[in-house]
Amino acid sequence: MSIHFEKVNYIYQADTPFRHQALKNLTVSIPTGSYTAIIGHTGSGKSTLLQHLNGLLKPSSGSVTVADKTITAVTKNKELGELRKHVGIVFQFPEAQLFEETVLKDIAFAPKNFGKTPAEAEQIAREMALLVGLPEEVLQNSPFELSGGQMRRVAIAGILAMKPDVLVLDEPTAGLDPKGRHEIMQMFAQLHSQKQLTIVLVTHQMDDVANYADHAIVLEKGEVIASTSPQEVFKDPQWLLKHHLALPKATRFAYELQQTGKVVFEKMPLTEKELAASLVDLLGKGGN
Amino acid sequence: MNKVILGRYIPGESVVHRLDPRSKLILSFFFIIVIFLANNWQSYTLLFLLTLSCVLLSKVNFGFFLKGVRPLIWLILFTVLLQIFFARGGTVYWQWGPLSLTSLGIINGSYVFCRFVLIIFMSTLLTLTTAPLEISDALESLMGPLKKFKVPVYEISLMLSIALRFVPTLMDETEKIMNAQRSRGVNFGEGNIVKQIKAVVPLLIPLFVSSFNRAEDLATAMEARGYRGGEGRTKYRIHFWKRNDTLACILFGLTMIVLLYLRNW
Repeated sequence: MSIHFEKVNYIYQADTPFRHQALKNLTVSIPTGSYTAIIGHTGSGKSTLLQHLNGLLKPSSGSVTVADKTITAVTKNKELGELRKHVGIVFQFPEAQLFEETVLKDIAFAPKNFGKTPAEAEQIAREMALLVGLPEEVLQNSPFELSGGQMRRVAIAGILAMKPDVLVLDEPTAGLDPKGRHEIMQMFAQLHSQKQLTIVLVTHQMDDVANYADHAIVLEKGEVIASTSPQEVFKDPQWLLKHHLALPKATRFAYELQQTGKVVFEKMPLTEKELAASLVDLLGKGGN
Repeated sequence: MNKVILGRYIPGESVVHRLDPRSKLILSFFFIIVIFLANNWQSYTLLFLLTLSCVLLSKVNFGFFLKGVRPLIWLILFTVLLQIFFARGGTVYWQWGPLSLTSLGIINGSYVFCRFVLIIFMSTLLTLTTAPLEISDALESLMGPLKKFKVPVYEISLMLSIALRFVPTLMDETEKIMNAQRSRGVNFGEGNIVKQIKAVVPLLIPLFVSSFNRAEDLATAMEARGYRGGEGRTKYRIHFWKRNDTLACILFGLTMIVLLYLRNW
């Protein structure tokens, strides 16, 4: 499922004094099968952009193409049902969307909406519960009895149950403890590598971008200021500072080390693993 | 949801904005009562002049007032047409069964139209130029005397200000949950009536649940900050009755006197 934005403008509350242009002449592509991270300062238009991916918002002008479907300002809502099946969005704090009596029913809700029979939907729901690591015994419980982390898992399972080709994640780990955060990010990485899902991740965690993404789009004030590899984005600390972005922890450490003048990294490490590897390398060469 | 103009506040620095919310509230109610005293074209012209000068003084874009009328236009037309075709008296121009078009009917119809427009303009002006919290402050202050009759004025105004504060938050939340459920294949506002009602369930339940959670959190946070009920609290926002407020009251009072003189008794 290739995604392409062509000169997309989006204006909130046009024709009122509250008018606000969230996307400005935005042209960008999200490659099929990529793990794309969208980063940017608060209010840079990230959330607006991701609501365009399944037609919740339609561009004020320009067009968004997802696979073979083109969405423009005049596209009718009825035509978008099919698209929503293929693009699953996990919103920020998705546990707010739970409503059914049991966990199982809630996960089965989306597939039922998209035309699966109740039996098929339940089958899918069981698979998905297993996939996100929910214990068997909670499936018949009310989702409101669960802990925050488990509620998050139910909500994510509810989206995965649609079997989307593109999975959009809006800060999926916000408010989770470090363990839950790691487990959930690992799960998405696994889905990406095993099922060739295209993943679009909106995040403020530069470590997640460095660890998982293979493509990064940087937004500022509704415009794309970079669409490239994470390696390239984190290459220039000055540039990041100017655009109010941070470095991943490992990279920051490497820069600070380099500033002492005692080591020179050939290639800036993005993750702890890369950092360790290059340090071992440098020590092996007999540097300081 | 962004199209609703009624009940919306537009920040500004005009004379009307800076009036004491109490005087604005009293005058709006007063004006609505006065409207029903008008009964000829001279008196309506007077009220229109007053309303338009208030609107001009507020420096709010006139388009907002027209937008305030728009959602009610069908109600207005319905009432006006009812008046025109069913009122009897004066010269009869046309008649068919119970329906008739008479001079009195037309006059009554146009009066009803004027009343609607004036009331909507004035109440829109009140909400456009007064922040919601100011309105709840004003209500608390004006309901003060009711304390003698054991009316829990403080509690009512606390509930009101919390409710007003959370309207936009709940609207945002509604929008978010709607989007999340749309992404899961719910079509809001489509299909037959049964389908449409069923589609609301995945929206309402999460909204209620989050409201309960929010209420619990808010109550805890209030208690943690030393809230023990309304008795013996001081106020941070204090409103002062200024010269302009007195002037506004005099202006409205004079208008009523002139109107009583102009009106057909």
